[in-house]
Amino acid sequence: MSTIDYKHKMAAHCESGAVTSLLNNAGLEITEPLVFGISSGIFFGYFHKMRSFTFPTFIVRNRPGSIRSNLSKRLGIKFYTEQFRTPDEGMRRLDELLEKNIPVAVQVDFFYMDYLPEWERVHINVHFIVVVGKSGSKYIISDSYFPNLVELESTSLRKARFVGGNMSPKGFLFYPEFIPKEPDFKKAILKGAKKTCFNMLKIPMPFIGIKGIRMFAKKIPEWPSFARDIEHLSHEIMKINILLEDQGTGGAGFRFMYSSFLQQGSIILNKPDWGELSKEMMEIGDGWREISLFASRIGKNRELGPERLKELGTMLYGRAEVEERFFRRLKNSLN
Amino acid sequence: MTQVPSPELKLEIKKMIMETLNITDINPENVDDEKPLFGSDNALTLDSVDAIEIIMAIQRNYGIRIADQSMARYVIRSINSIAEFIMTEREKNKL
Repeated sequence: MSTIDYKHKMAAHCESGAVTSLLNNAGLEITEPLVFGISSGIFFGYFHKMRSFTFPTFIVRNRPGSIRSNLSKRLGIKFYTEQFRTPDEGMRRLDELLEKNIPVAVQVDFFYMDYLPEWERVHINVHFIVVVGKSGSKYIISDSYFPNLVELESTSLRKARFVGGNMSPKGFLFYPEFIPKEPDFKKAILKGAKKTCFNMLKIPMPFIGIKGIRMFAKKIPEWPSFARDIEHLSHEIMKINILLEDQGTGGAGFRFMYSSFLQQGSIILNKPDWGELSKEMMEIGDGWREISLFASRIGKNRELGPERLKELGTMLYGRAEVEERFFRRLKNSLN
Repeated sequence: MTQVPSPELKLEIKKMIMETLNITDINPENVDDEKPLFGSDNALTLDSVDAIEIIMAIQRNYGIRIADQSMARYVIRSINSIAEFIMTEREKNKL
């Protein structure tokens, strides 16, 4: 089997990167920030006590899979999707699609992407890559986190597609089946922005959106009560940095990408005020990076007394304030 | 075409990293330009937590924001890759 002629590009985030790459290769001109913004990728959720988590945690983007599904709804693109009961079935279907020269995005556990350095690989089973060919026992992969096309052993891909756990991929694959000739970008951009404002400002749950950032700020001084010891607490505090900066794209990274979305949207919609909002969002991203830096410093130095955690909480309150002002302005710009 | 980074720029980067991460027991001049900064065989025994410190130090010292996290992973691989990135960004800003 040969490799499909596929233009590979690095991207800021794996899911929006895989979707953008598939669409670009199918002939649709769209950028990753537009994919991210139209699909309302920005989000915030804080989970203080949940049965599935042993420690409080938070998310900075929408649910994996929703970038594809929201984009599909808003631009009228149809994606073929499938999950499988057995690895044999899932690998067979992938081979069949590659035989037909169809590049296919698959959900995998990042840990098995052995072309990446070992220190970077952690178990996250919602990583997305595009499979573009097969050569002997190896698949040809377009991974937006890697600068060029790479090979991956069939055994590694099989393991990566069929790991267990929460949000297990079950061999999930997708590819675009239908792309409208002239999608209505203007309408989709406005819808995406409107939904983002709703998610950040209006969802009536105290742990979602701006309310979620405030809950995070309020609750972080309680984190020591969940920790076994100082080592455990330090690990969890440093994980704030990983969640904000490293895993996926991070709180700052997603904000930077949203800033590019607004910049591009301001041109497409001829809305100069979005150009201003774009600059503001860039600064908001920097603010999240400051939090990330602060958390990693206090975690590493084991400076985890109540004063330090309160300080971290104050920084988070600050983020909630600026993000609330920002999303209200964005919402008003849509009227 | 991007110019080749000068040894002075590379030394400046090494000093910036040492100062940012408070590393005092290694002479910056002895840090290998090509050796990975992270991972088990790294020149400075850095971990992933140090990555954010370096990314922000680059922004502070050179006014260059690395907004793209997957790009950041490649930029901070080694002294050479950081120096090349700074040169490329400087060239872009000239245009």
